[in-house]
Amino acid sequence: MLAEVLTQVALVIGILLPVSVLVFIGRERLVRTRAEWRDRLRTNAPVIAVLLVVLLINRVARQTAPKLSREIGIHLTATFYNVEGEFILLFKSVETPELTAYFASVYVFGYTFLLIFPVIAYFMLSDTRIFRRLLTAYALNYAIGLVLYILIIAYGPRNVMPAELTERMLYDTNPQYQYLTREVNTNTNVFPSLHTSLSATVAAFASMTRSAYPKWFPIAVVLGASVALSTMYLGIHWGIDVAAGLVLAATCVVLSDKLVDRWSLSDLFGDRLERLSDRLPWLHREE
Amino acid sequence: MNWSPSSPDDGVSRRSFLAAGAAAGAVTASGCIDSVRNVVEQAGDNQMTLSITTLPADADRQNVQIARRLEANLEAVGIDVALDMRSPSELLKTVLIDQEFDLYVGRHPADYDPDFLYDALHSTFANERGWQNPFGFANMYFDTLLEEQRRVDGEQRKQRLGSVLHGLAQEKPFEPICFPDEHRIARTDGFEGWDEGTLGSRHGYLGLEGDGQLHALATDSRMTRNLNPLSATARERETMIDLLYDSLLSERNGELVPWLAESVEWSATPSETASGDDTNGEKDDANADERGDERRTVSITLREDCRFHDGEPLTASDVAFTYRFLEDTSLGRAPESPAPRYRGQVEMVESVEIEDDRRLTITLRGETPAGQRALTVPILPKHVWQELIDQRAASGEFSAPQGRWVAVTGDHIPPVGSGPYRYESHTEDEQLVLERYDDHFTLREDVDLGEPVAAGLRFTIEPGSAAAVRRVSDGSGDLTASILDAYAIGGIPDSSDITELTATHRSFYHIGFNVRNAPLSNPHFRRAITQLIDKETIVDEVFYDYATPTATPVADDWVPSSLEWSGEDPVTPFVGSNGRLNVEAAKSAFETAGFRYDDNGRLLGGY
Repeated sequence: MLAEVLTQVALVIGILLPVSVLVFIGRERLVRTRAEWRDRLRTNAPVIAVLLVVLLINRVARQTAPKLSREIGIHLTATFYNVEGEFILLFKSVETPELTAYFASVYVFGYTFLLIFPVIAYFMLSDTRIFRRLLTAYALNYAIGLVLYILIIAYGPRNVMPAELTERMLYDTNPQYQYLTREVNTNTNVFPSLHTSLSATVAAFASMTRSAYPKWFPIAVVLGASVALSTMYLGIHWGIDVAAGLVLAATCVVLSDKLVDRWSLSDLFGDRLERLSDRLPWLHREE
Repeated sequence: MNWSPSSPDDGVSRRSFLAAGAAAGAVTASGCIDSVRNVVEQAGDNQMTLSITTLPADADRQNVQIARRLEANLEAVGIDVALDMRSPSELLKTVLIDQEFDLYVGRHPADYDPDFLYDALHSTFANERGWQNPFGFANMYFDTLLEEQRRVDGEQRKQRLGSVLHGLAQEKPFEPICFPDEHRIARTDGFEGWDEGTLGSRHGYLGLEGDGQLHALATDSRMTRNLNPLSATARERETMIDLLYDSLLSERNGELVPWLAESVEWSATPSETASGDDTNGEKDDANADERGDERRTVSITLREDCRFHDGEPLTASDVAFTYRFLEDTSLGRAPESPAPRYRGQVEMVESVEIEDDRRLTITLRGETPAGQRALTVPILPKHVWQELIDQRAASGEFSAPQGRWVAVTGDHIPPVGSGPYRYESHTEDEQLVLERYDDHFTLREDVDLGEPVAAGLRFTIEPGSAAAVRRVSDGSGDLTASILDAYAIGGIPDSSDITELTATHRSFYHIGFNVRNAPLSNPHFRRAITQLIDKETIVDEVFYDYATPTATPVADDWVPSSLEWSGEDPVTPFVGSNGRLNVEAAKSAFETAGFRYDDNGRLLGGY
């Protein structure tokens, strides 16, 4: 089942990516990138390494984090539910099978595409800073998200209000997707919504780069907003999780600006750079 | 220690105390008993707050819906409610071991005999951790009845149990809600011989005819993480332990069959004549009642040449060890540490005498029905568990906090049992594979109890009931081993390859109260709460009518006619109609119980 879904995702992304590269990026940048890619890769290598390390830690933490979370985490399902109550049931009034299908595909395919495409698009820019900032922001999202997932134990609305959400619960309408999400998440990881924070991060970057990619900006905003809404529509996240996701996105975008500035100073010293990229993941683990 | 067993008088003293109002300060100063001091500190002018511990819908879609309906009605009568959502093992840990809860919604496994009420309610267990008396309920009247029903049989026993059920309906340490129907589906092209009544026990997996491995889908992943037969939190029902372990007797569709015991001879002590191997033990009831200290001895002969899965022989000393170990898992090296399961059954056993490797005599504290139940615990290998204890003891300081130490909390994988199936492999949260145990006595020519599936069993975890149904109808599974959530039953397709297996079972959904603390120590308060539960509507809307509402935790013939369901609860009917709560009437029930409301309609008495 998992293989089936993964193939589907790979297929959809495999079609979307080349098309969007042609539409949003254009031939000229492709040609220039072909000439400069070695240099850019060298400049970008440390930040790519940092992101990979954070993702690796994330991967490993899937095994150990739940146990740690049970030891030190605080249960907040009751709090979230008390604060916002049945807020997300607002979507009930607009619920249709078509909308459910749209949000389900946005949640799975749209989100994946939204994360991957900017990596390619910003690598195509001669100015590598935006690329490094994007990857730094991604890494921060995952790192901070992981810490919050350990500290906060909360179940999403679909686990609290199954009866009201039954018509649009992702795993009821599209049970195959649960095999995918189960690979990357447990059902107590709801605060914050990383779907929201990463989508909002991408949209923020799209806004900063709208002179370079004017056509991408509206797409990123619409898709990003759809992803955030989908998490609530499908009953996966509370409104609070989405709000926290937006705050996390803002934090990561701002921090990426500060951090990448600092790093560019050490650009000159190759060895120190290496040490820095070694130290950063360790810092994250300490948190 | 703040804990004090609550008697029904508790509520009365509290009420009169609350009425005293201003005198509160003076009472505290004079150093009153603990429970009253609690009230002074807690029952201020704050709104009353209660938490309901419940399961996420992923684990059980009905549980949280019951909790939310109760929550809404509690809020309506002015009580602040927090939904405490826990995974299945954490819910059991919170309730059974840590005892940190106010109310919880759960599914009690019950048992084939109402004697399980002894475990659930006897006051000796109120201080223990585990399935024994999780409510902290203590009442001498109940203790007497529960003990008496063990010493008598027939009509007299039924009458004692009837009194227990009547008392329960009034006192409400817990409130039964309904017995859900058990629905499963199985494919008919791979295996034949499905028995819908026994799929919760070992018998459901014996005597099936078919080739290849039986692929069962289970919704509960705990079986892939813990196979410790003593664990309180790893399971409600013991299907998996049934497959891996043997017991002396085995229950099949309500009847007990000799299992590990080849023969069982019952006799009365001291002077009664033996009634042969008659398992019904018909006796003169009047006499039995008078005797009060009735004891039964059971002479047991084990089947020849039984071995544990590691090849060690299973002898009478393993049986004796099992009962001793369950009674005190520290084996006398630390303060008594009874296992958090099988507590009432073990309590029934007075002594075990070993005659030789295959023969032993068990003396029971009472009559046959409850005594038989004592013979259904899994028999554990002495050499494995003794070694574990010895190792712990050798490593220096030895302590065995009851219900919380490694012998009962460890995962015990791979398990060493003697049952018809043997552990082969597992992947956490994904699957558990069992192979046929080739040396098991069910495979012998002269034994006709159904043989285990030759190629073994594979349990794959599929958390969604609807998805499990789909997978079995697609052919990627032979059976949905777990009970399907009610929402998925309507979606079972009509197909000749699939057979729908339906049974009513004795396990029941209930609301449990922690009666150790105020205000839930007050039975009047508990009664006022149970009147907020609309069982009829819950069965209709949450279970889609695939359940039977109930006022008692046992069903059928045991229920006194005055407690039979009659469209509403015969003792504490829902305050309202057509699913809608009559808020004013419900509130006045709390006021009658001695609680006060503020001007905003909030119930006072918060912590």
